[in-house]
Amino acid sequence: MVARHWGIVAAAVLSALIASAPPRAFAAQDAGRVITDEVGREVKVPAEVKRIVTLAPNLTEIVYALGLSDKLAGDTNECDSPPEAKSKPHVGEPQNPSLEAIVALHPDLVLATTSINRVDTADALERLGIAVYTTAGDTQTVLGMLDSISRMAELMGAEPQGAEMVGRMRQRLEALHARLQDRPMVHVLFVVWEDPLITIGQNTFIADALRWAGAESVVISKQNWPQLSIEEVVRLQPDYIVFTSDHGGTGATQLADLRSRPAWRDLDAVELGHVVDVSEEAVRPSPGLVDAIVQLAHAVHPEVFGESRRAEDETLFATRVTESVGAGLRPVLLGRCQEPHLCAR
Amino acid sequence: MRPLTPRRVAWVCAGLCALLFAAVVISLRVGAYPISVRDIVMTLVNRAIGHRDQIPADFWNIVYEIRLPRILLGVLVGASLSTAGAGFQALLRNPLADPYVLGVSSGAALGAIISLIAAPHTAGAIQLAAFAGAAGTTAAVYFLGRRGGQLDSATLLLAGIVAASFLSAIIMFLMTTLSGRDLRGMAFWLMGDLTSQPSINPTWLFLLLIIGVGSIYLTSSDLNLILTGEQEARHLGVNVHRVKLVVYVAASMLTGLAVSVSGAIGYVGLLVPHVMRMLFGTDYRLLIPTSALGGAILIVLADTLARTIVAPTELPVGAMTALAGAPVFIYLMRRRMR
Repeated sequence: MVARHWGIVAAAVLSALIASAPPRAFAAQDAGRVITDEVGREVKVPAEVKRIVTLAPNLTEIVYALGLSDKLAGDTNECDSPPEAKSKPHVGEPQNPSLEAIVALHPDLVLATTSINRVDTADALERLGIAVYTTAGDTQTVLGMLDSISRMAELMGAEPQGAEMVGRMRQRLEALHARLQDRPMVHVLFVVWEDPLITIGQNTFIADALRWAGAESVVISKQNWPQLSIEEVVRLQPDYIVFTSDHGGTGATQLADLRSRPAWRDLDAVELGHVVDVSEEAVRPSPGLVDAIVQLAHAVHPEVFGESRRAEDETLFATRVTESVGAGLRPVLLGRCQEPHLCAR
Repeated sequence: MRPLTPRRVAWVCAGLCALLFAAVVISLRVGAYPISVRDIVMTLVNRAIGHRDQIPADFWNIVYEIRLPRILLGVLVGASLSTAGAGFQALLRNPLADPYVLGVSSGAALGAIISLIAAPHTAGAIQLAAFAGAAGTTAAVYFLGRRGGQLDSATLLLAGIVAASFLSAIIMFLMTTLSGRDLRGMAFWLMGDLTSQPSINPTWLFLLLIIGVGSIYLTSSDLNLILTGEQEARHLGVNVHRVKLVVYVAASMLTGLAVSVSGAIGYVGLLVPHVMRMLFGTDYRLLIPTSALGGAILIVLADTLARTIVAPTELPVGAMTALAGAPVFIYLMRRRMR
């Protein structure tokens, strides 16, 4: 045990104060259950989870969506949705949380994700005898994420809420699939980061979300976050360009900006105004994701979801999650060309 | 300049040890979780008299499992980097020499990145690879820096600079192939970070530290002579080539050691030996132990700042060493010029 060796070194350095009493290993008293998390780590979780600390915004959203806000003891500085999450005690940044701030909150379960947390953090918490459940973030599928929500709900003692939420999301995805299954895939360029230009690989969570929206990335790559040159974009000529913006950004400037940039302005998608701006929800495996998928589907398949077919969309929109989850969601379709003869120049 | 007596060395080192101890206590005291001095003392005393059960679990966790290991890692890294810096400066008779300038740190970083790509989940692999990278770079730079069979300071420094930029370019290239979780860990590590505990036994790391600092210390009388001129030293019976080899190997090992556990914490190897020279003179018999202690103090204090000024958010310690170190350095330099 590492702590023991540090203890030995400590005894040498602080010999004035410390005699060499051997520290004993920490014994967890709680009779809980041992489960395996999504990255294959063994986690000992108490029978009843009472205090939860989340280390990523999407996990915080899931805890809130399951109605477990009372049990949430702390979250990160980045957790801004729902707005109430901002007033919870923070433990620092997801990439580098303060271990002692976490210890001080006495959590019996810490939720982490591979998409923004570090393995080192999970290792350190495990050494401190704190249960860490890590979800597979980046390389999940959308359905995998639903399973993950169910598992977390079960873990936190909110199985019925989880089942209901997941069932609802599944229904909406199926309804969407029924509408889109005989439509050809639209080829999109998903922009994760603009400078340098970074897009998604085929195994990522976002790639799967796009497929549900009837879209496919023009870039086929085994790397999760491949970097791309603008020349390659010109060669691939995507039908649509999808951007993510954080909550403060205004989407209206995006298209104008692209139209003023060399190379970008000559892309067919930019000329036609096929530029879609989705909220960050789309890139987080969070409860708001299905909304983002539905919105994206509307943006890239106007022939299916035109104004005249609004009534049919009720099935899709009827169950939209309200304020708490939907607040951060504003997928906007920008400057879709109403009069093609003007836009095509 | 007063002559150097064993008595003076002992007093200066004792003083610095006291300062280091004070720095450790301050560092144990402050943090995101508030613990009073009284509780710290109670925790230490209870531990000392074997009353482990009397210590509240939180205090135990925070003092012994979180803060102390990190402080000791800071001591290790600070002492290694400053001693390595002092060694390289004597070796090259160049005040700008430092593990980073010579490319040794870049070599260690490259080794670590290769290990992350090749064997991401093997315990201790990153340390071994960083070590191998440092040693390999040392050997390469050492041979590139020879001119006419002699180790030439200017050529060696030039070889080091070229090696550093070449290795950094390879690191940049490899970084683009990493993704997600590994890249995040890597980016932190490259900035200089003490949050990750090494997966190998820290006692071994301290043993290596003692061997490295000790072997440079044993050459310190010879280094003093070499600094007055290699020719003169040779006439006085110093085996210059052997001394250089010992210092170079030991300093490289110390660099590999530091980089393997903390990544690239810059500035320490350059800053600390110079500050110590300004305070205590240029005699290497005093400079080596004071540099080791001074480096440890600097890193412990810098890391304390890094984890407290915007708590609970933690900053990379490398940013802190530069932020806190530069003004001190400039102040001392101006004062000496007056």
